[in-house]
Amino acid sequence: MKKPLVGDDASYVQKVSQETNRYVRDLLADNERVRSVAAALESEVTALRREVATARSAMERRAEDEARLRRQLASLEDEGGRLSERYLEVEEQNANLANLYVASYRLHGTLDRKDVLEAIHEIVANLVGSEQLAIYSTRPESGTLELTTAIGVVPEPPSTIPIGRGLIGAAVRDGKTYLFESTGDPDRLPHERDLTACVVLKLDGVVTGVLAIFRLLPQKSAFGALDRELFDLLATHAATALFCTEMASGPAMRRSARG
Amino acid sequence: MPTKKKILLVDDSKTVLMMEQMILNKAAYELVIANDGRQAIAKANDEHPDLILMDVMMPEMGGFEACAKLRSGEATRGIPIIMVTTRGEAESIEKGYASGCSDYITKPIDGMELLSKLKNYLGE
Repeated sequence: MKKPLVGDDASYVQKVSQETNRYVRDLLADNERVRSVAAALESEVTALRREVATARSAMERRAEDEARLRRQLASLEDEGGRLSERYLEVEEQNANLANLYVASYRLHGTLDRKDVLEAIHEIVANLVGSEQLAIYSTRPESGTLELTTAIGVVPEPPSTIPIGRGLIGAAVRDGKTYLFESTGDPDRLPHERDLTACVVLKLDGVVTGVLAIFRLLPQKSAFGALDRELFDLLATHAATALFCTEMASGPAMRRSARG
Repeated sequence: MPTKKKILLVDDSKTVLMMEQMILNKAAYELVIANDGRQAIAKANDEHPDLILMDVMMPEMGGFEACAKLRSGEATRGIPIIMVTTRGEAESIEKGYASGCSDYITKPIDGMELLSKLKNYLGE
Protein backbone atom coordinates (compact mmCIF):
# COMPACT_ATOMS: atom_id res chain seq x y z
CA MET A 1 0.00 0.00 0.00
CA LYS A 2 1.19 3.40 -1.04
CA LYS A 3 2.17 5.77 1.73
CA PRO A 4 0.54 9.26 1.43
CA LEU A 5 2.95 12.17 0.82
CA VAL A 6 3.32 14.61 3.51
CA GLY A 7 5.16 17.82 4.13
CA ASP A 8 7.82 18.91 1.58
CA ASP A 9 7.19 15.96 -0.70
CA ALA A 10 3.53 16.80 -1.16
CA SER A 11 4.32 20.40 -1.80
CA TYR A 12 6.95 19.46 -4.36
CA VAL A 13 4.63 17.15 -6.25
CA GLN A 14 1.91 19.78 -6.35
CA LYS A 15 4.36 22.34 -7.68
CA VAL A 16 5.58 19.97 -10.42
CA SER A 17 2.00 19.20 -11.36
CA GLN A 18 1.15 22.87 -11.62
CA GLU A 19 4.28 23.58 -13.69
CA THR A 20 3.45 20.68 -16.00
CA ASN A 21 -0.12 21.91 -16.44
CA ARG A 22 1.09 25.42 -17.29
CA TYR A 23 3.65 24.00 -19.72
CA VAL A 24 0.97 21.95 -21.47
CA ARG A 25 -1.32 25.02 -21.71
CA ASP A 26 1.53 27.06 -23.18
CA LEU A 27 2.30 24.31 -25.68
CA LEU A 28 -1.35 24.14 -26.70
CA ALA A 29 -1.46 27.92 -27.09
CA ASP A 30 1.72 27.86 -29.21
CA ASN A 31 0.29 25.05 -31.26
CA GLU A 32 -2.83 27.08 -31.87
CA ARG A 33 -0.74 30.13 -32.98
CA VAL A 34 1.33 27.93 -35.34
CA ARG A 35 -1.86 26.44 -36.79
CA SER A 36 -3.21 29.91 -37.35
CA VAL A 37 0.03 31.09 -39.06
CA ALA A 38 0.08 27.91 -41.16
CA ALA A 39 -3.53 28.52 -42.23
CA ALA A 40 -2.74 32.14 -43.10
CA LEU A 41 0.30 31.05 -45.12
CA GLU A 42 -1.73 28.39 -46.84
CA SER A 43 -4.31 30.97 -47.79
CA GLU A 44 -1.59 33.34 -49.03
CA VAL A 45 -0.03 30.57 -51.15
CA THR A 46 -3.43 29.81 -52.66
CA ALA A 47 -3.98 33.49 -53.44
CA LEU A 48 -0.49 33.75 -54.96
CA ARG A 49 -1.12 30.65 -57.05
CA ARG A 50 -4.33 32.22 -58.33
CA GLU A 51 -2.46 35.44 -59.14
CA VAL A 52 0.28 33.50 -60.96
CA ALA A 53 -2.36 31.63 -62.94
CA THR A 54 -4.11 34.90 -63.82
CA ALA A 55 -0.81 36.55 -64.79
CA ARG A 56 0.15 33.52 -66.90
CA SER A 57 -3.18 33.60 -68.64
CA ALA A 58 -2.81 37.35 -69.27
CA MET A 59 0.70 36.77 -70.65
CA GLU A 60 -0.60 34.08 -72.99
CA ARG A 61 -3.37 36.39 -74.16
CA ARG A 62 -0.81 39.17 -74.72
CA ALA A 63 1.46 36.81 -76.63
CA GLU A 64 -1.50 35.81 -78.81
CA ASP A 65 -2.45 39.47 -79.29
CA GLU A 66 1.12 40.32 -80.18
CA ALA A 67 1.30 37.49 -82.70
CA ARG A 68 -2.04 38.58 -84.18
CA LEU A 69 -0.86 42.22 -84.38
CA ARG A 70 2.40 41.12 -85.99
CA ARG A 71 0.41 39.18 -88.59
CA GLN A 72 -1.83 42.21 -89.19
CA LEU A 73 1.21 44.49 -89.47
CA ALA A 74 2.86 42.17 -91.97
CA SER A 75 -0.37 42.04 -93.93
CA LEU A 76 -0.70 45.84 -93.84
CA GLU A 77 2.92 46.20 -94.94
CA ASP A 78 2.25 43.87 -97.86
CA GLU A 79 -0.87 45.84 -98.74
CA GLY A 80 1.07 49.11 -98.41
CA GLY A 81 3.77 47.77 -100.72
CA ARG A 82 1.15 46.65 -103.27
CA LEU A 83 -0.62 50.04 -103.12
CA SER A 84 2.69 51.82 -103.46
CA GLU A 85 3.55 49.79 -106.56
CA ARG A 86 0.07 50.40 -107.95
CA TYR A 87 0.40 54.14 -107.27
CA LEU A 88 3.68 54.22 -109.18
CA GLU A 89 2.10 52.27 -112.06
CA VAL A 90 -0.87 54.68 -112.17
CA GLU A 91 1.48 57.67 -112.00
CA GLU A 92 3.52 56.24 -114.85
CA GLN A 93 0.37 55.62 -116.88
CA ASN A 94 -0.76 59.19 -116.16
CA ALA A 95 2.61 60.52 -117.24
CA ASN A 96 2.46 58.42 -120.41
CA LEU A 97 -1.05 59.62 -121.19
CA ALA A 98 0.04 63.20 -120.54
CA ASN A 99 2.95 62.74 -122.96
CA LEU A 100 0.67 61.29 -125.62
CA TYR A 101 -1.90 64.04 -125.07
CA VAL A 102 0.73 66.76 -125.34
CA ALA A 103 2.19 65.18 -128.49
CA SER A 104 -1.21 64.87 -130.11
CA TYR A 105 -2.24 68.39 -129.09
CA ARG A 106 0.98 69.88 -130.43
CA LEU A 107 0.71 68.06 -133.78
CA HIS A 108 -2.88 69.09 -134.39
CA GLY A 109 -2.72 72.55 -132.86
CA THR A 110 -1.63 74.21 -136.09
CA LEU A 111 -2.02 74.10 -139.86
CA ASP A 112 1.35 75.73 -140.44
CA ARG A 113 3.89 73.25 -141.85
CA LYS A 114 6.80 74.93 -140.05
CA ASP A 115 4.97 74.65 -136.73
CA VAL A 116 4.12 70.97 -137.30
CA LEU A 117 7.77 70.20 -138.11
CA GLU A 118 8.80 72.13 -134.98
CA ALA A 119 6.25 70.15 -132.94
CA ILE A 120 7.69 66.86 -134.27
CA HIS A 121 11.18 68.07 -133.36
CA GLU A 122 10.07 69.09 -129.86
CA ILE A 123 8.29 65.77 -129.30
CA VAL A 124 11.39 63.82 -130.33
CA ALA A 125 13.73 66.07 -128.33
CA ASN A 126 11.69 66.48 -125.17
CA LEU A 127 9.48 63.43 -124.92
CA VAL A 128 11.56 60.76 -126.67
CA GLY A 129 15.05 62.10 -125.94
CA SER A 130 17.00 62.72 -129.15
CA GLU A 131 18.16 65.93 -130.76
CA GLN A 132 19.02 64.37 -134.10
CA LEU A 133 16.26 63.62 -136.55
CA ALA A 134 15.35 63.72 -140.20
CA ILE A 135 11.97 63.57 -141.93
CA TYR A 136 11.61 62.19 -145.43
CA SER A 137 8.51 62.29 -147.63
CA THR A 138 7.75 59.56 -150.15
CA ARG A 139 7.81 60.37 -153.86
CA PRO A 140 6.01 57.33 -155.32
CA GLU A 141 6.43 58.57 -158.90
CA SER A 142 10.24 58.34 -158.60
CA GLY A 143 10.36 55.57 -156.00
CA THR A 144 12.40 57.75 -153.69
CA LEU A 145 12.30 59.49 -150.34
CA GLU A 146 12.87 63.23 -150.32
CA LEU A 147 14.38 65.00 -147.32
CA THR A 148 11.83 67.37 -145.77
CA THR A 149 13.94 68.49 -142.82
CA ALA A 150 16.97 67.41 -140.83
CA ILE A 151 17.76 68.73 -137.37
CA GLY A 152 21.00 68.21 -135.51
CA VAL A 153 22.25 65.49 -137.90
CA VAL A 154 25.87 66.03 -138.93
CA PRO A 155 26.70 65.61 -141.74
CA GLU A 156 23.27 66.30 -143.18
CA PRO A 157 21.67 63.09 -144.48
CA PRO A 158 21.18 62.62 -148.24
CA SER A 159 18.48 64.73 -149.86
CA THR A 160 16.99 61.69 -151.61
CA ILE A 161 17.07 57.99 -150.76
CA PRO A 162 15.75 55.26 -153.06
CA ILE A 163 12.91 53.37 -151.36
CA GLY A 164 14.35 50.05 -150.19
CA ARG A 165 17.94 51.31 -149.83
CA GLY A 166 19.53 51.12 -146.42
CA LEU A 167 17.62 50.91 -143.15
CA ILE A 168 15.52 54.01 -143.81
CA GLY A 169 14.57 52.89 -147.31
CA ALA A 170 13.82 49.36 -146.06
CA ALA A 171 11.49 50.65 -143.32
CA VAL A 172 9.48 52.57 -145.94
CA ARG A 173 9.46 49.61 -148.33
CA ASP A 174 8.24 47.30 -145.54
CA GLY A 175 5.86 49.89 -144.13
CA LYS A 176 7.10 49.04 -140.63
CA THR A 177 8.60 51.06 -137.80
CA TYR A 178 12.04 49.75 -136.87
CA LEU A 179 13.89 50.36 -133.61
CA PHE A 180 17.59 49.55 -133.37
CA GLU A 181 19.17 48.52 -130.09
CA SER A 182 22.75 49.19 -131.19
CA THR A 183 24.34 51.83 -133.37
CA GLY A 184 27.69 52.28 -135.10
CA ASP A 185 27.49 49.03 -137.12
CA PRO A 186 30.17 49.40 -139.86
CA ASP A 187 27.93 47.53 -142.30
CA ARG A 188 25.43 50.36 -142.21
CA LEU A 189 25.37 53.16 -144.76
CA PRO A 190 27.49 56.12 -143.54
CA HIS A 191 24.49 58.38 -142.89
CA GLU A 192 22.75 55.62 -140.91
CA ARG A 193 25.56 54.83 -138.44
CA ASP A 194 23.80 56.51 -135.51
CA LEU A 195 20.27 55.60 -136.57
CA THR A 196 18.18 54.38 -133.61
CA ALA A 197 14.63 54.42 -135.01
CA CYS A 198 12.74 54.65 -138.29
CA VAL A 199 9.13 55.62 -137.69
CA VAL A 200 7.11 55.11 -140.83
CA LEU A 201 4.49 57.82 -141.30
CA LYS A 202 1.19 56.47 -142.61
CA LEU A 203 -1.98 58.15 -143.72
CA ASP A 204 -4.94 55.85 -144.07
CA GLY A 205 -2.57 52.88 -144.39
CA VAL A 206 -0.46 54.51 -147.09
CA VAL A 207 3.18 55.31 -146.30
CA THR A 208 3.71 59.05 -146.74
CA GLY A 209 7.14 59.39 -145.21
CA VAL A 210 9.50 58.37 -142.47
CA LEU A 211 10.85 59.94 -139.32
CA ALA A 212 14.46 58.89 -138.78
CA ILE A 213 15.79 59.33 -135.26
CA PHE A 214 19.52 59.20 -134.73
CA ARG A 215 21.67 59.36 -131.57
CA LEU A 216 19.79 59.43 -128.24
CA LEU A 217 20.63 61.90 -125.48
CA PRO A 218 23.45 60.69 -123.18
CA GLN A 219 21.08 60.10 -120.26
CA LYS A 220 18.75 57.99 -122.42
CA SER A 221 20.07 54.45 -122.73
CA ALA A 222 17.26 52.79 -124.69
CA PHE A 223 13.69 53.19 -125.89
CA GLY A 224 10.94 52.26 -123.43
CA ALA A 225 7.26 51.36 -123.63
CA LEU A 226 6.23 55.02 -123.74
CA ASP A 227 8.56 55.67 -126.68
CA ARG A 228 6.87 52.89 -128.62
CA GLU A 229 3.49 54.45 -127.93
CA LEU A 230 4.80 57.84 -128.97
CA PHE A 231 6.11 56.31 -132.19
CA ASP A 232 2.71 54.74 -132.88
CA LEU A 233 1.12 58.13 -132.30
CA LEU A 234 3.67 59.94 -134.47
CA ALA A 235 3.25 57.36 -137.24
CA THR A 236 -0.36 58.36 -137.83
CA HIS A 237 -0.76 61.80 -136.24
CA ALA A 238 2.40 63.35 -137.68
CA ALA A 239 1.44 62.06 -141.13
CA THR A 240 -2.07 63.48 -140.73
CA ALA A 241 -0.80 66.81 -139.41
CA LEU A 242 1.68 67.18 -142.28
CA PHE A 243 -1.02 66.24 -144.79
CA CYS A 244 -3.35 68.85 -143.28
CA THR A 245 -0.69 71.54 -143.69
CA GLU A 246 -0.52 70.69 -147.41
CA MET A 247 -4.32 70.86 -147.64
CA ALA A 248 -4.30 74.16 -145.79
CA SER A 249 -1.77 75.65 -148.19
CA GLY A 250 -3.80 74.46 -151.21
CA PRO A 251 -5.73 76.80 -153.52
CA ALA A 252 -9.12 76.23 -151.86
CA MET A 253 -7.83 77.13 -148.41
CA ARG A 254 -5.93 80.13 -149.76
CA ARG A 255 -9.15 81.39 -151.37
CA SER A 256 -11.00 80.78 -148.11
CA ALA A 257 -8.33 82.67 -146.17
CA ARG A 258 -8.62 85.61 -148.56
CA GLY A 259 -12.38 85.60 -147.96
CA MET B 1 -6.38 78.07 -96.46
CA PRO B 2 -2.65 77.98 -97.28
CA THR B 3 -1.58 80.04 -100.30
CA LYS B 4 -0.46 78.13 -103.37
CA LYS B 5 3.27 78.07 -104.05
CA LYS B 6 4.19 79.98 -107.17
CA ILE B 7 6.48 78.44 -109.76
CA LEU B 8 8.00 80.26 -112.72
CA LEU B 9 8.35 77.97 -115.76
CA VAL B 10 10.92 79.15 -118.28
CA ASP B 11 11.17 77.43 -121.65
CA ASP B 12 10.86 78.36 -125.32
CA SER B 13 9.33 74.98 -126.20
CA LYS B 14 5.54 74.85 -126.16
CA THR B 15 5.75 71.07 -125.76
CA VAL B 16 7.88 71.29 -122.62
CA LEU B 17 5.77 74.07 -121.11
CA MET B 18 2.61 72.08 -121.73
CA MET B 19 4.17 68.96 -120.25
CA GLU B 20 5.36 70.86 -117.16
CA GLN B 21 1.96 72.47 -116.72
CA MET B 22 0.25 69.08 -116.88
CA ILE B 23 2.57 67.68 -114.23
CA LEU B 24 2.41 70.70 -111.92
CA ASN B 25 -1.28 71.57 -112.23
CA LYS B 26 -1.99 68.19 -110.67
CA ALA B 27 -0.04 69.30 -107.60
CA ALA B 28 -1.96 72.60 -107.39
CA TYR B 29 0.81 75.13 -107.87
CA GLU B 30 0.32 78.61 -109.24
CA LEU B 31 2.24 78.75 -112.50
CA VAL B 32 3.81 81.72 -114.25
CA ILE B 33 5.34 81.33 -117.71
CA ALA B 34 8.32 82.93 -119.44
CA ASN B 35 9.72 82.00 -122.85
CA ASP B 36 13.36 83.06 -122.48
CA GLY B 37 15.92 84.18 -119.92
CA ARG B 38 15.16 87.88 -120.26
CA GLN B 39 11.45 87.36 -119.63
CA ALA B 40 12.35 85.08 -116.73
CA ILE B 41 14.31 87.82 -114.95
CA ALA B 42 11.48 90.33 -115.45
CA LYS B 43 8.82 87.90 -114.21
CA ALA B 44 10.93 86.76 -111.27
CA ASN B 45 11.20 90.39 -110.13
CA ASP B 46 7.49 91.09 -110.68
CA GLU B 47 5.95 87.86 -109.47
CA HIS B 48 8.37 86.74 -106.71
CA PRO B 49 8.01 83.01 -107.43
CA ASP B 50 8.86 80.42 -104.78
CA LEU B 51 10.87 78.43 -107.32
CA ILE B 52 12.05 78.71 -110.93
CA LEU B 53 12.18 75.79 -113.35
CA MET B 54 14.40 76.91 -116.23
CA ASP B 55 15.47 75.45 -119.55
CA VAL B 56 19.13 75.81 -120.54
CA MET B 57 18.91 76.43 -124.28
CA MET B 58 16.68 79.41 -125.11
CA PRO B 59 16.72 82.32 -127.55
CA GLU B 60 17.44 85.88 -126.34
CA MET B 61 19.07 84.76 -123.12
CA GLY B 62 19.94 81.18 -122.17
CA GLY B 63 19.29 79.52 -118.82
CA PHE B 64 22.83 79.74 -117.43
CA GLU B 65 23.10 83.48 -118.07
CA ALA B 66 19.62 84.13 -116.67
CA CYS B 67 20.45 82.04 -113.61
CA ALA B 68 23.65 84.04 -112.95
CA LYS B 69 21.74 87.33 -113.30
CA LEU B 70 18.99 86.13 -110.95
CA ARG B 71 21.63 85.18 -108.39
CA SER B 72 23.11 88.69 -108.51
CA GLY B 73 19.73 90.41 -108.06
CA GLU B 74 18.80 91.48 -104.53
CA ALA B 75 15.17 90.34 -104.81
CA THR B 76 15.83 87.08 -106.67
CA ARG B 77 19.06 85.68 -105.30
CA GLY B 78 17.34 83.39 -102.78
CA ILE B 79 14.88 81.76 -105.17
CA PRO B 80 15.67 78.08 -105.78
CA ILE B 81 16.38 77.48 -109.49
CA ILE B 82 16.11 74.03 -111.03
CA MET B 83 17.65 73.81 -114.48
CA VAL B 84 16.04 71.58 -117.10
CA THR B 85 18.88 70.34 -119.22
CA THR B 86 18.92 68.29 -122.40
CA ARG B 87 22.52 67.34 -121.83
CA GLY B 88 23.11 65.20 -118.76
CA GLU B 89 26.90 65.23 -119.02
CA ALA B 90 29.05 66.38 -116.10
CA GLU B 91 30.33 69.43 -117.98
CA SER B 92 26.85 70.81 -118.56
CA ILE B 93 25.81 70.11 -114.98
CA GLU B 94 28.95 71.78 -113.57
CA LYS B 95 28.24 74.82 -115.74
CA GLY B 96 24.75 74.95 -114.28
CA TYR B 97 25.99 74.85 -110.69
CA ALA B 98 28.65 77.46 -111.52
CA SER B 99 25.89 79.79 -112.74
CA GLY B 100 24.17 79.38 -109.36
CA CYS B 101 21.40 76.85 -109.99
CA SER B 102 20.18 74.84 -107.01
CA ASP B 103 19.57 71.58 -108.84
CA TYR B 104 18.89 70.13 -112.28
CA ILE B 105 16.74 67.57 -114.05
CA THR B 106 17.30 66.07 -117.48
CA LYS B 107 14.97 65.71 -120.43
CA PRO B 108 12.77 63.82 -121.10
CA ILE B 109 11.24 65.11 -117.87
CA ASP B 110 10.26 62.46 -115.35
CA GLY B 111 7.14 63.77 -113.59
CA MET B 112 7.80 61.95 -110.30
CA GLU B 113 11.40 63.17 -110.18
CA LEU B 114 10.30 66.74 -110.90
CA LEU B 115 7.60 66.72 -108.21
CA SER B 116 9.96 65.18 -105.69
CA LYS B 117 12.61 67.89 -106.29
CA LEU B 118 10.01 70.67 -106.13
CA LYS B 119 8.62 69.39 -102.84
CA ASN B 120 12.12 69.22 -101.46
CA TYR B 121 12.93 72.84 -102.36
CA LEU B 122 9.51 74.15 -101.41
CA GLY B 123 9.72 72.47 -97.98
CA GLU B 124 6.61 70.37 -98.52
